[in-house]
Amino acid sequence: MSDTAQIYDQGYRRYEGERTGLTGAVRTLITHSIRHALGIGRSAKFKTIPVLVIIFAYLPAVAFVGLAALLPEDLVAEGVLPTYAGYYSYVVGAIYLFAAFVAPLLLCTDRRTGMLGVYLASPLNRVTYLLGKALATLILLLIVTLGPPLLMLVAFSLESVGPAGFIEWIRVFLQIVVSSLVIGLLFSSVSLAVAAATDRWVVATAAAVLIMPGSAILTDALVYGAGLTDTLHLLNIPNMPRELIYRIHDEARAGSGSPLGDASLWTEREVSTWSLWASWCVYMTATIGFIWFRYRKLLVRR
Amino acid sequence: MGPPSFPASAPSAPPLPATQAPAPAPTATGLPIAALGAPSSSALVSARHVAKRYGSYTAVSDVSFDIQPGVTGLLGANGAGKTTMLGMIIGLHPIDSGALTVLGQDPWNAGADVRERLGYAPEHHTLPPDLGANDFVRHIAELHGLPKDEATTRASDALWLVGLGEERFRPMGTMSTGQRQRVKLAQAIAHDPQLILLDEPTDGLDPLQRDSMLDLIRHIATEFGIHVILSSHLLDEVERICDGAVIIGDGVTLAAGSLDELRGSGTIGITLEIDGDDTQLHAVVRYLNDRGLAVTFDRRRITVEGDDERVFDLARDACAAVGAGIVRLNKRRLSLEDVFIERMGG
Repeated sequence: MSDTAQIYDQGYRRYEGERTGLTGAVRTLITHSIRHALGIGRSAKFKTIPVLVIIFAYLPAVAFVGLAALLPEDLVAEGVLPTYAGYYSYVVGAIYLFAAFVAPLLLCTDRRTGMLGVYLASPLNRVTYLLGKALATLILLLIVTLGPPLLMLVAFSLESVGPAGFIEWIRVFLQIVVSSLVIGLLFSSVSLAVAAATDRWVVATAAAVLIMPGSAILTDALVYGAGLTDTLHLLNIPNMPRELIYRIHDEARAGSGSPLGDASLWTEREVSTWSLWASWCVYMTATIGFIWFRYRKLLVRR
Repeated sequence: MGPPSFPASAPSAPPLPATQAPAPAPTATGLPIAALGAPSSSALVSARHVAKRYGSYTAVSDVSFDIQPGVTGLLGANGAGKTTMLGMIIGLHPIDSGALTVLGQDPWNAGADVRERLGYAPEHHTLPPDLGANDFVRHIAELHGLPKDEATTRASDALWLVGLGEERFRPMGTMSTGQRQRVKLAQAIAHDPQLILLDEPTDGLDPLQRDSMLDLIRHIATEFGIHVILSSHLLDEVERICDGAVIIGDGVTLAAGSLDELRGSGTIGITLEIDGDDTQLHAVVRYLNDRGLAVTFDRRRITVEGDDERVFDLARDACAAVGAGIVRLNKRRLSLEDVFIERMGG
């Protein structure tokens, strides 16, 4: 036997190394949840919906970037292309469809398959489990809320039709980041709350898909049809964060009347900016409170 | 005939046949529960007067025991409080009163630290169907603090160990119940825990698979030094592989200790198995009854109280008198079933 020969034992052995602790457990949960939702490591049928939604979310951005390259600069400067805030008008449907698909997939499946009990037998507890799932949902939504406007910002800058100057560029960048967080957090929390209400992810997805346009139709009927107070616009789940994004980008509509084209949805007089922020906070608090209420004493299947 | 198991309702003892004599009192019944003092620092799990209520329902009212290294059976009928107890050991729920330590720590307050060193195999079989066994085991190992590369290697090793090496990339939804039970065992040990909790690990297995699973659990405990708590309602499997047992009934500890302590060192009679028909069987029983012996029987097996020379002689003479052959004639030790019946009935 040579002096350099070694025996490799492939059998079970003790582990003496460092452990990653709670932080590692949360990180693992987030990574696994994202992979699961995107269908990575699963068969092709699980990849279809996420891939289609991501394509729909990026398609307008790619088209606008192409148009910016093809159109004359003066035409672009006149504002024929949508603003960064206005971009969400084109993709808000894709964003909430993605939220309605992802959150139930991440929460309902764990309860239905008993994985929740396995997770809670690890270093995770209910709070850290929910935190991990919420972060995974938010990161997934940021793919469709943050990615396309950032793509536009970078591409427009390269095509010399972006913000003028470094300070202005940073300001727009921050506005995009805050905007994507505003809509991502709200849609995440609403869809997670719906997912917390039932073990069946198909039911939760259908409910989440219906709640958002349902609230828009209802509030429009009450405000424009029945002539009730404009404050009811705050109950419009898909449009409320869109309007907030216009305000973040300083694009609130000055005049009155129905919104047209790329203009913001409501005027400051109809719905004030502070009431938009207040209602956003109320939505977040209520949905997080409901999720915690459901999970705090949830009987874990073992 | 199936393995002996606990009756469905906890408080009532299994019904005795009309011919059966009352079950003999055990010569020893483990540690005296009431005499247990402060939680033991040497025990893996130490419980003192633990109680847990869900609203008006009391799941566990007074459970005390020390679980020592090795394999320990947590026994009880369905609804006795075993699963609630496991939940508290894992730190899923706080205890309402009493004291509980797991690996020297309070599992509720030091939850993450304790659970990092625990492995757990749930009772249910509905694991994510589209997930491959290897991905699942690796994920659970990473959750328990193993770096990704280490978790990948160890997941593979653990699946080979439980006999699923060739099947490790198969989605769990395509696996049989026996294979899923093995996957659950693999994920419980992959991160090298000090203690694993197995909830009904033989549930849904056929006799051969059951034997194989029990051998595997015993092997893991003896070869790798991983201590095991085995929650079960099957008395014989606990008796077969466990070093000790905790018997819970109606939310209280009925008995706890090593198997030797629970069963005692003495014998409680003899077992006589005959080679003969029903007529001969009844004739033997009548022969022994006529001579003042308490006799019970089940199929061809006769249990006689007393274990002195006279009882053996009378059993031999009875068989000779009726022309029946003797298949087995030996002293009978107290079994866990006897301890359970005595405790429930007593």
